[in-house]
Amino acid sequence: MFTDPCLDARAGLDEEKGRARPSKPTMMHTAQIQAASDTPVKAPTRRALAKQQTRAKVLDAARRLFSEQGYEGATIRDIAAAAGMSTGAVFANFTDKSDLFREIMLTDMMALAEAMREAAAHGTSAEDGLLRLFVAGYRFYQTQLPLARAAFSVGWSPQDGPALRSAPPVQILLSLFTEQLTKGVQSGELSQDDQIALRTQMLFDAYLANYDQAIFQGWTLEALKARSHDQIRILLAGIRRR
Amino acid sequence: MTAPHNLALPEDLTESATADPAPAAAPDVTLGLRRTQKQATRNRVVEAARELFDTQGYQGTTIREIARHAGVSVGSVFTTFASKGEVLSQVMAERLDGLYAELDRVMPHLRGATVERLRTMFAIHFSFESRHTRLFLAHIAAAYDWTLPPTAMPMGRNQRLQTILRECLEKGVAEGDVCPQVDRQEVVDLLMAAYAWVYRLAAWNDADAPAMTAVMDRQIALIAAGFQPRA
Repeated sequence: MFTDPCLDARAGLDEEKGRARPSKPTMMHTAQIQAASDTPVKAPTRRALAKQQTRAKVLDAARRLFSEQGYEGATIRDIAAAAGMSTGAVFANFTDKSDLFREIMLTDMMALAEAMREAAAHGTSAEDGLLRLFVAGYRFYQTQLPLARAAFSVGWSPQDGPALRSAPPVQILLSLFTEQLTKGVQSGELSQDDQIALRTQMLFDAYLANYDQAIFQGWTLEALKARSHDQIRILLAGIRRR
Repeated sequence: MTAPHNLALPEDLTESATADPAPAAAPDVTLGLRRTQKQATRNRVVEAARELFDTQGYQGTTIREIARHAGVSVGSVFTTFASKGEVLSQVMAERLDGLYAELDRVMPHLRGATVERLRTMFAIHFSFESRHTRLFLAHIAAAYDWTLPPTAMPMGRNQRLQTILRECLEKGVAEGDVCPQVDRQEVVDLLMAAYAWVYRLAAWNDADAPAMTAVMDRQIALIAAGFQPRA
């Protein structure tokens, strides 16, 4: 009845890793449209291109409004108006507001995963690699904290929270944290960890919880980094070899 | 959903009579009555909101539904509360008052190592709140809501719980099982993050209080490795 989601969280990751990772949001849409069409070799039809442009316009407007008014405050009607189209046109592309928001979040998280992976590649140890993961995240959202705030609001909601939290990109982010722990064990920096799933989840939660300081108290990147460093040390203390 | 108002009304009459030092010189009965009615409406709204947040979550509940459920007009909800976030704050404040009064009473008498005291504290918490995990999640989600007034107390900034945790750790420093070099606020933050996560598990996986406590115990042990003095 009560399963540890950390275990589920890593399922299907290998499959996910093998896929091409879109680096730009627009590429993702192209990929989807091509996948949906029967003959992906052909150039997209005019109709498909128009649809793609509509989607991109809606997503841009939605991103802006969610940032300005929060998830609750932004309505489909406002988003349609900001995109210069009818609400019907919005609904032709997205089932509802949560669908629209999820699309934005998932696109961002794929890009975030890429930024984190790059940052962690320069890590000199597991501890340092983890810190780089944290900081890469804070840097990524530094200029779009209102959107992060909206994401937390949705992430904690009983309706949309589970879907967002268990989305494949979140699992990729989690796997990056696990990777650092595994690397630490392999290099001898950390001792064998029988709680790697729990530790991964706790590191990830500490990473997320610190956004509160950025959102509500205006902490700088440096302050967030110092805090994260201490937290990582506390969470690794039990398996640190010294 | 009519019982609560009938019950609430006489109670409010006595409450406002004692709590409100009504100007003795003012024989203004209508003003007093209006205040009483306002208090009754407020109680009805809070009661209705608690039920709806608990079953449908924060985002899934509208002010309009709260008004309908409470049997009052939308307008009268807004004369009492500025926003949905404010209604939720009031719901949580009333609930948590009881819990923290209990914890304030129990905490000074808890014995054993800091880890054990922390575990007991959270176990009490979960047994108190486990039936309302969705409400609690709504509380957390609301912290990120734009409409929340700055005076509201979202979960992350819940100073009462943080104070209890800090005192627990300070006691540990005095007794020698918490390393004095460790930043207590950072430990508190980690405990708060773990605590919130347990609620999410509970709400999404239907965990009961013992299951929540078991997961929290593991997380406390992991954090404790970071605050205990090194042998």
